[in-house]
Amino acid sequence: MRNREEVDATVQTAKLNPAELLPAVHCLSFGPQAGTGECCLLQLEPGLCAELEAGNSLVIRGEKHEQAVLCSKDKTYDMKIADTSNMLLFIPGCKTPEQLKADEASCNIIHSQIAGFSSNYWELRRCRPKLKKLRKLLMEDPYEGPDSQKDQTLAFSKYTTEDFLSLIQASEEEILCHLQVIDACKIEGYWRILEFDYEMKLLNHVTQLIDSESWSFSKVPLRTCLEELGSLEPKEMIEHILLSYGRKYIDDGEVYFEMREEKICRAIAQMLLQNAVKFNLAEFQEVWQQSVPEGMTTRLDQLKGLALVDKSSRPETILLLKVEDLPEDNQERFNSLFSIREKWTEADITPYIQDLCAEKQTVGALLTKYARSSTQNGVKVYNSRRPIS
Amino acid sequence: MVQIVVSSEGAGGLAQWVLVELQGEVEPRQSGGLAGSLLGDLHYTREGVPVLIVGHHILYGKVVQLEKPFAVLVKRGAGEPGPAEPHTHYTVTALIKTKLLFKTRPKPIITNVPKKA
Repeated sequence: MRNREEVDATVQTAKLNPAELLPAVHCLSFGPQAGTGECCLLQLEPGLCAELEAGNSLVIRGEKHEQAVLCSKDKTYDMKIADTSNMLLFIPGCKTPEQLKADEASCNIIHSQIAGFSSNYWELRRCRPKLKKLRKLLMEDPYEGPDSQKDQTLAFSKYTTEDFLSLIQASEEEILCHLQVIDACKIEGYWRILEFDYEMKLLNHVTQLIDSESWSFSKVPLRTCLEELGSLEPKEMIEHILLSYGRKYIDDGEVYFEMREEKICRAIAQMLLQNAVKFNLAEFQEVWQQSVPEGMTTRLDQLKGLALVDKSSRPETILLLKVEDLPEDNQERFNSLFSIREKWTEADITPYIQDLCAEKQTVGALLTKYARSSTQNGVKVYNSRRPIS
Repeated sequence: MVQIVVSSEGAGGLAQWVLVELQGEVEPRQSGGLAGSLLGDLHYTREGVPVLIVGHHILYGKVVQLEKPFAVLVKRGAGEPGPAEPHTHYTVTALIKTKLLFKTRPKPIITNVPKKA
């Protein structure tokens, strides 16, 4: 170990003026574990440092063939190795000039051992959680109701929150939030999604009751629904359908629901459209208006991200195209859209790419990156940057 | 799917380490690896400029407060890979919020050459 004499001699040989230096000096050497590569560096995005200091954990998730992500309680980050051409040495107990000046007593030699070194580190970038798989897993075994003929003993495709944490590359909060968005519910401890026909059956019970009771759509009482429909369907399912298609509120101690016109009209449109490849637009609009509960008004803009209107065909047509059925990856999504239709207006394509936007990214930025624009009949349209096979 | 937990070592707060960034590579003078060998002496001028003497070179650097701090991770519990492979676990040993960046070219130290008599 170096002593004061040796250090001073080196300073002299280097022609440094001791008067210009702080009295304390660190003698750096490589610790016994330094070369083993046991340590690595993780660059922290804002907020993560505070999380670790508070004692919270982070989790790295991924299948062997997937790119790893890092999850905090509520955010997901892509992980990549950043290579530098420099050497990064990490040194415990190494003091900064401020710390040395503050501590008047230190004029000694501080023997510091370098714990490790690296020329690269893990870099994080906030990303969209990979939630498409969540719906896919739930669709393996949708709930068809208590009268279902399905063999309930085959319980292989049932998932708890814990199961999802080990299967989905997303944070817990993002998973729970998405489960709510897709109207999943817990049945016997497992997350389930309702089979569409069963969901429509439940919705129909409610809308018929609203009609026969002449209730306002904005004041549907939970208690009466459960009383009147409880003999037809499980009470949890009645409440679930009200929660999915209405906004819950309490008035004078009683629970009511304000029914969501757009969501109900959308569901009925899906029911009609899923039975054929394409529909004559005018015919569809007529049938659709007749099919929704009396008092509700259908509008084409209710179908954003669900159906696509073709204004160039004669007669005009409409077909089912659900954004949740499209690929999750940006490039694949655009390839898929451009193979469905060669040229898109911004208005038509926006509902199908909105969910791809990263934090603070706009649809315009996505279009600039993944599409090429041109003008057709005075209208700006977007097409693929590369030929689509 | 693999789930690797990254957690702090325990109660008592995380240690604060410092990063020293050097250009190029550091090679041992003798064969046998770096472990145990000296790197050099780190001084600070009274103005707070870090000065590193490594071998025959002087390096002048600067103290940088990192916009994005680093966590130092140490792998734990990696047993033999096999069917009963335990969950790999990383422990956050320390945080690094400051680095000493040595970007300038090292100045060689020229010792006096005795003049011919």
